[in-house]
Amino acid sequence: MEITLNHYLILSAVLFTIGLIGALMRRHIIIMLICLEIMLNAANLNLIAFWHYGPNPIMLHGPLFTLFTIAIAATEAALGLALVLAIYRHFKTVDLEQVQDLKE
Amino acid sequence: MTVAFYILAAIAVLGAVMAIALRNVVHAVFSVLLFFSALAGLFILLLAEFIAAVQILVYIGSVGILMLFAIMLTTKVTGDPTHNLLSRGWAWGALVAGALLLAFLVPLITQTQSETISKLSNFNPSVKDLGMILMDPYFASMGVIALLLTAGLIAAVVAASSASEE
Repeated sequence: MEITLNHYLILSAVLFTIGLIGALMRRHIIIMLICLEIMLNAANLNLIAFWHYGPNPIMLHGPLFTLFTIAIAATEAALGLALVLAIYRHFKTVDLEQVQDLKE
Repeated sequence: MTVAFYILAAIAVLGAVMAIALRNVVHAVFSVLLFFSALAGLFILLLAEFIAAVQILVYIGSVGILMLFAIMLTTKVTGDPTHNLLSRGWAWGALVAGALLLAFLVPLITQTQSETISKLSNFNPSVKDLGMILMDPYFASMGVIALLLTAGLIAAVVAASSASEE
């Protein structure tokens, strides 16, 4: 059977849902960041699949926007992990259930 | 082509499930690296080789190493077996996310007329073309991305260092 656009869309939806379930279920802060990365990657797969099967692939919009998304995701990961370190220094925990107040 | 898609899709789903299910955080990071490499393979199947290379360089190369560093700087490497790893009310979140997939996303996708033929087979996308359109119509966007990366770097340094000076 030939692989169609719908195969990629279903795979992307499944991966996004796995990431969403993980982000809602786990209480470890680094696992939550991992789940955010999984969701962003599922969106990237969507962009590339739509470009591949799209009406005008010569314009290369899919890889271009995926490149931008990857740059933003890398920034998000660096900043998020810096915030993890700051939260750990302050609260001495990586358990998000125990991080409950914003002031000192 | 078909077999490669199913193998890579299975590896990607397996890596993602293991990343959210494993108790040990380091194991979770390594399984998410498996997920990233399977996705790079899917990008190669979709004829986006440069994006696959960027995926390997950025995600496996830097984001994964950054996560491992963050784990080693914060918590114990081996997960605490007595520690509760699920958040309060996790069943509601999993239920809502699963219902979103089964009741909303999958019916919407399967009811749509599927595009089977790719127009990409009669032309060969190259990195040079990507660089050209990055320079000509999307130069301002690239400048914004460069500014964002610089601001993110500075913000990460400030966020990670300010707490120790108190």
